[in-house]
Amino acid sequence: MSATRAAASPGRWLPSIALGGILAYLVVVPLVILLISSFTPSGLPLDPGWTLGNYVKTYADPAFYGLVWTTARFALGAMAGALTIGVLMAWLVERTDLPARGLVRVMVILPMATPPVLLAIGWVMLLSPRTGFFNDMLKAAFGLTAAPFNIFSLGGMIFVETLSLVPSSFLMLSPAFRNMDPNLEEAALTSGASVAMMIRRILLPLLLPALLAAGAFLLMVGFLVFDIPGTIGMPVGIFVLASRIVYLANDAAGGISQYGLISAIAIFFLFVLLLLAYGYQRATGQSGRFVTVTGKNYRVRPFRLGRWRWPAFGLVALYFFLATLAPVGILVWTSLMPYQAPVSIEMLSKLTLTNHEAFFANRRVLQATQNSIVIALVAATVVALLSGLVSWLVVRSRAPGRRIIDALAFLPIAIPGTMIGVALIYVYLTINFLDVYGTIWIIVIAYVTNYISFGSRATHGVMAQLHQDLEDAARTSGAGWLRLMRRIIVPLALPAIVAVWIWVVAHCMRELASALLLQGGDNRTLPVLLWNYWSGGEPNKAAAVGVWLVVAMLLVVSLWQIAVQRGRLSGMKG
Amino acid sequence: MLEVSGLFVEYPLADRTYRAVDDVSFKVEAGEFFTLLGPSGCGKTTTLRSIAGLETPTGGSIRIAGKPIFTAGDGILVPTQKRDISMVFQSYAIWPHMTVFENVVFPLDAMGIRRGAARAKVEEALRLVGLLDYIDRPATQLSGGQQQRVAVARAVVKQAKVLLLDEPLSNLDAKLREQMRLELRELQRHVGTTSIYVTHDQEEALALSDRIAVMSAGKIVETGSPVDLYLRPRHPFTARFIGQANLLACTVLGRAGAGVRVRTAAGDMVAGVHADLADTATHVLIRPECIQFVDDAAPSGNVFEGTIHASVFSGKTVEYEIGTAQGGRLIVQAPPTVLRAHGDRALMHVAPERCVLLSEANSAQI
Repeated sequence: MSATRAAASPGRWLPSIALGGILAYLVVVPLVILLISSFTPSGLPLDPGWTLGNYVKTYADPAFYGLVWTTARFALGAMAGALTIGVLMAWLVERTDLPARGLVRVMVILPMATPPVLLAIGWVMLLSPRTGFFNDMLKAAFGLTAAPFNIFSLGGMIFVETLSLVPSSFLMLSPAFRNMDPNLEEAALTSGASVAMMIRRILLPLLLPALLAAGAFLLMVGFLVFDIPGTIGMPVGIFVLASRIVYLANDAAGGISQYGLISAIAIFFLFVLLLLAYGYQRATGQSGRFVTVTGKNYRVRPFRLGRWRWPAFGLVALYFFLATLAPVGILVWTSLMPYQAPVSIEMLSKLTLTNHEAFFANRRVLQATQNSIVIALVAATVVALLSGLVSWLVVRSRAPGRRIIDALAFLPIAIPGTMIGVALIYVYLTINFLDVYGTIWIIVIAYVTNYISFGSRATHGVMAQLHQDLEDAARTSGAGWLRLMRRIIVPLALPAIVAVWIWVVAHCMRELASALLLQGGDNRTLPVLLWNYWSGGEPNKAAAVGVWLVVAMLLVVSLWQIAVQRGRLSGMKG
Repeated sequence: MLEVSGLFVEYPLADRTYRAVDDVSFKVEAGEFFTLLGPSGCGKTTTLRSIAGLETPTGGSIRIAGKPIFTAGDGILVPTQKRDISMVFQSYAIWPHMTVFENVVFPLDAMGIRRGAARAKVEEALRLVGLLDYIDRPATQLSGGQQQRVAVARAVVKQAKVLLLDEPLSNLDAKLREQMRLELRELQRHVGTTSIYVTHDQEEALALSDRIAVMSAGKIVETGSPVDLYLRPRHPFTARFIGQANLLACTVLGRAGAGVRVRTAAGDMVAGVHADLADTATHVLIRPECIQFVDDAAPSGNVFEGTIHASVFSGKTVEYEIGTAQGGRLIVQAPPTVLRAHGDRALMHVAPERCVLLSEANSAQI
């Protein structure tokens, strides 16, 4: 007995060390290098000399605090908007007799299929003060001389970011509405409470943990996102953190990348984001606190909207119109035009498929498509595998060091794609360890780091739900670790792992920031190509690329939702 | 106190209308403990939720203390919070973000009673359920049984006219359930509130109720006191659902004094209960404990002969399965004073006043 124990002891550490090593390489190494580089004069980590100059230059500059203030207003505004709409939509879908609820779900989730950069481009085409389609329409309708809306403003950025965050907000909040025992609300009514009192004293306090978690998450996204502020704000000089980093890396005066300054800025925001991540972790940890004994699941009596049924449906439809139909519509129109032209009957004669033909004939496009697909498939597979292993280790095993593994896998949620991009440049530009600079593999590494936190959170849930007895039964049946995994854990967790895989594929296909920073040679992805067309003044080509990207994304997002629904059903049976 | 008449609850399905509650009527007197008993899906909970206003019926009317709270025709629909009721839920529905005190004081807050006066009432209610010491505990730190008591305290503190209880004991383990059954009964006697209780557990219904309505497929099959429903049911469903039953299909041979002579698979016998059902009788009910083993055919008839096929010994009683000479099958429960072996022949006797005529045609009233 003691002999087997002594023999097993080093083996006990093996999985933790192996996984911990991979995660540390993905997460800790870039962060440390980022930190070091903020103290070197050139901003490259292995260059000689130490300095505090980067920090002095950054923090003594009043413009920096303007940047912080703009970013904070942008993030808070988008969070408030997305949270409000998300709560409303989640309540409508989960708790009321809203008509066509299946369709409504689709209308709230499908906007995920529009990459944020495309959403932003679409809205620039709709609300630009010079040529925006909606502005032109309003001017004509009301005889205005000036455009009523200007997308190139902080308000415009917040508006578009809100549209793009609503699906995430909805998906995070709807389980809270779904899982809450409706008896808790009914008990307030049978106690004689008015509906207002019930909402104030029962419903809101019970939802608070979920609201806090969603709020912290959305705030983080607002702090680190690049696509929308980059597309709308950067051309007119409205900067947030992420767009500033890209600007300093690519377009800064003189064309020399200001890596030292980037690192100094990044460290500040990393600090803010880590605080938010901690708050998010706390909030999600608390949400389990209110779980109580529940009896039979009585069919939830939906709240009767009465004459508000169709207006409520109209509200959801309006969101769908703003978040998908209008921006994608204008993209389709633009992609069929020889040059950027207003929407009108006369222009119908000019309809052309040239941009689309060019799309399919262009070697760079094919290359980018191939890159995007390979990157998405490889990154998604690695993330799914790693997530499954991490979750099993953290949630189900008693392996030593599992808390550290958990923290390492969670940390990237606080690291913006731009920051990972910059850090990876440092790592692979200065260390000749893996020769991946300028290839698609450096982008794969960036995406795996980026999405491991989402992936492991999602698989954590399933692993926690698997009853310990299932595992013990396999062990007492004589199964070893491999057989246990292959025959019991993996099949049971498969729907969740598949859902993670598809989610990562979708996000790899739409992610712009890190791929943009890491582009070089022939590793461009479709969003990067699209961005280059757009910022290079070729909106029609950009639109054509965008239309096909949306088509691909629609497919992937639909698959993802089917996988999620399947997972939920099989979860209920088990 | 409570009057439900002609209640219908219907849901549209894809191809037809599903009737969860199908023409249900009953009256409950002030202070009475009235139980809706039936298998799951029989419409008992839906009926209770209709009284609470958590479900909107499609037909009929409900009155509390003479005042209509729901009428299909006139469109009267008093919202839940304005009805003079309180309710205990199967899941207890204890609000997890509050303490015990905050949970129990909530109905008083809703009535606008000031905290000073409310505190005394809350303490009184918690004393009744024996949880006064737990008054400042967070609700999440209570066991299932304690949560159940808090739910009861929260319901009685309001002193509503009608107390609704939806399977309040079904989430407790067996031992606690029996204890809580007694406590609940005592509490209800003490407080004197008119109570409507929903359960699928027939033992619970018998132990607690003044009157029971047995429900099946959305209808009330039969209403009566626990004693009547056990000893003198009129419908085979009641006989089968409450207690153990030998249900023998029968043909009526004719009158025999105050009773009715019938032919069954166990032999001919005189049934002394419900002679008024002679015209429509389909079955005779004999409870297993009402059959006695006898040594010879001494008493006046109602004697059967059979062979012991199987026996189960459970201490206080022995249960025998007996094949009768006519090819019928009887379950007999006897004290373990004389043990009988497999294959033994046995003579049995049932008093005519323990043979109950049942009729499928007969249905609810009152």
